[in-house]
Amino acid sequence: MRKRVLLIEDNPENFFLMQYLLEKGGFQVMGADNGWLGIEMALFNIPDIILLDIQLPGMDGYTVMRRLRSTPELAKIPIVAVTSYAMAGNRELALQNGANGYIEKPIDPDAFTGQIEAFLNSSNTEVPK
Amino acid sequence: MRKGSKRCFFMDYIRSRGEEIDRILLYAFLIFAFALFIIVPFHAKTLKVGIAQNKPKVYWDEQGNPSGIFVDILDYIAEQEDWEIEYQKAAWDENLQLLESNQLDLVADVAFTTDRDKIYEFHQIPVLFSWTQIFARKGFQISRLEDLNGLRVAALKNSVQASLLQEMGKGLHLDITVVTATSFDEVLALVRDNKASAAATNYHFGKLNARRYNLEETDILFEPSSLHFAAPKGRHIDILKTIDKHLADQKRRPDTQYYRILKKHTSEEHEHGIPIWLIWGSLALISVTILLLVTVIIFRHQVHKRTAELKRANQDMEKRIEERTEELSLAMHKAQVADMLKSAFLATMSHELRTPLNSVIGFTGILLRQMPGPLNDEQKKMLSIVQNSARHLLSLINDVLDISKIEAGELELHMKEIELVPIIEDVFALINPQAEEKGLELNLRVSDHPRFIIVDERRFEQVLINLMGNAVKFTFQGKITLSYYAENNFLILRIEDTGIGIPNEMLSKLFQPFMQVDMGIDRKFEGTGLGLFISRKIIEMMGGSIEVQSEPDKGSCFTIKLPLSPQETPCENESC
Repeated sequence: MRKRVLLIEDNPENFFLMQYLLEKGGFQVMGADNGWLGIEMALFNIPDIILLDIQLPGMDGYTVMRRLRSTPELAKIPIVAVTSYAMAGNRELALQNGANGYIEKPIDPDAFTGQIEAFLNSSNTEVPK
Repeated sequence: MRKGSKRCFFMDYIRSRGEEIDRILLYAFLIFAFALFIIVPFHAKTLKVGIAQNKPKVYWDEQGNPSGIFVDILDYIAEQEDWEIEYQKAAWDENLQLLESNQLDLVADVAFTTDRDKIYEFHQIPVLFSWTQIFARKGFQISRLEDLNGLRVAALKNSVQASLLQEMGKGLHLDITVVTATSFDEVLALVRDNKASAAATNYHFGKLNARRYNLEETDILFEPSSLHFAAPKGRHIDILKTIDKHLADQKRRPDTQYYRILKKHTSEEHEHGIPIWLIWGSLALISVTILLLVTVIIFRHQVHKRTAELKRANQDMEKRIEERTEELSLAMHKAQVADMLKSAFLATMSHELRTPLNSVIGFTGILLRQMPGPLNDEQKKMLSIVQNSARHLLSLINDVLDISKIEAGELELHMKEIELVPIIEDVFALINPQAEEKGLELNLRVSDHPRFIIVDERRFEQVLINLMGNAVKFTFQGKITLSYYAENNFLILRIEDTGIGIPNEMLSKLFQPFMQVDMGIDRKFEGTGLGLFISRKIIEMMGGSIEVQSEPDKGSCFTIKLPLSPQETPCENESC
């Protein structure tokens, strides 16, 4: 059974980039370009893991994480924040708001799917490097 | 003349036939009305649907037309199924009463509860999910459910929020007085008018409207509920099934009408949040800030470079410097005025620049890995160039951003205790390919002491990468050695190379921005000359220093000195 990834990312090029890598890596990809849609899709079709951009239009990634965490059906799904490091403290903020892990852009095409596998295989609380 | 008479003739004709035409029209109308009367009941079902005022889910827009997510979705289904819909406006609890007495066929936007399931008929697949959120007056400190103890909380009469608050109050032993109103607008108004301290509404409505009542959202968010169309108990089961069929079909893929409708109404929400002029205004201000900052950096650079030349040149030129300096100070002043926008600028700029670069680097990587198909050698070579240039651009962006942060005093450090060897090994692994390519030897002299150090891990790594990278860049044969030891409660870390070295007169300027060892016209090195400046600033912020010793053609040695923690031994129990 292929693992299902929900990808929440508003930039179409980056969305396609991650979608391509994930599909080549054997994942099934669902997508949303804003947080609200993302939560709707997650509730409709529960994913195995959620990849979340932080700077989204409307509801930002931190809020999306809090909402996911406060929704019983979705509270346990691993969330990986995918964003550029930009401002100091982004990583800490993501982890505080409920992310299990953090991948920095630019994405490394060689390592990307391996990182996602690692997040899926690790327990819910541990953050693989 | 001829034209006139023609027209008269025509008018006469009309007048003489007037009565007859009236009669024909009347017959036609009667036949049409009769046909309508016969055909419509067979052709389409007319559904009476009750909606309350609850933007963006259901509402009446300024022109009095029914609107919202539920309306659009139902309209879409009705179009497919040939249903006629008649929307009726009523207050929320009035709608429910009309439904119970069979005066309505459907009510939109009803949260499913087991109690309601006993008196209404629901379809299976939710149209939307919603949460209850607490809103309070601005500055009113409410962040946990316990904060509601002893307060009056406003909620919609007969709503899930009202019954939830009652139940939660009992369950958590909180003294919550629930005040009800008949519309969500009135609920928010109760808080504005000091008749309640907080309001509980669904988060869609609250978020969109709280600002109008001078309220703000709190972090209290609970009880996800699913929202449906509801019919009177035991009725319209076929219609509800049809709604389910469409929802299941529509929700399966992201490119369907369902998601377009959601997006339409939520992006409206977004526009309400930030007025368009503010977005354009900020964009304009950000552009001005970018221009100013670039101007400042460029001017500074030029002033530095030219001062040396001009001192030797004539007074005429000095005058020009004065002018330049004046321009510079003016630009500086303007930059200070724009200081407020600096943080926003940094966040936006870094994100905006990196986002396209991410896809450039990512897709080049994909192509180079030949995932979509094989490449010939020429293509591989060209793509490698693209990849290297993109990476180079990314490091330039990072440098410029770091400089801006340092100058704005916004560089934040996250100090924590880390083990020294793994981080050095990581840096070596990163640098090794470049060294191997140039046939250089990398040596690491590991020491048992110190094992740990308190630094900002990322920034410390950045400094090591910069110094090691420089060593590789400016060395053409021989080796690079990293060694470290503890001395008087300080870490002393040395990076020695056998490279081109640094002329004496350059040594003092080495840590200034835009400085790079210039080897004359025959050799030019890639880079901004910002790396060492940034490295020194980072190390200084961590309480340390960087020094350099060098001899041209023999090599350079950079020494980092960083204070060790008072307890240098690793923490093994929880008390330390």
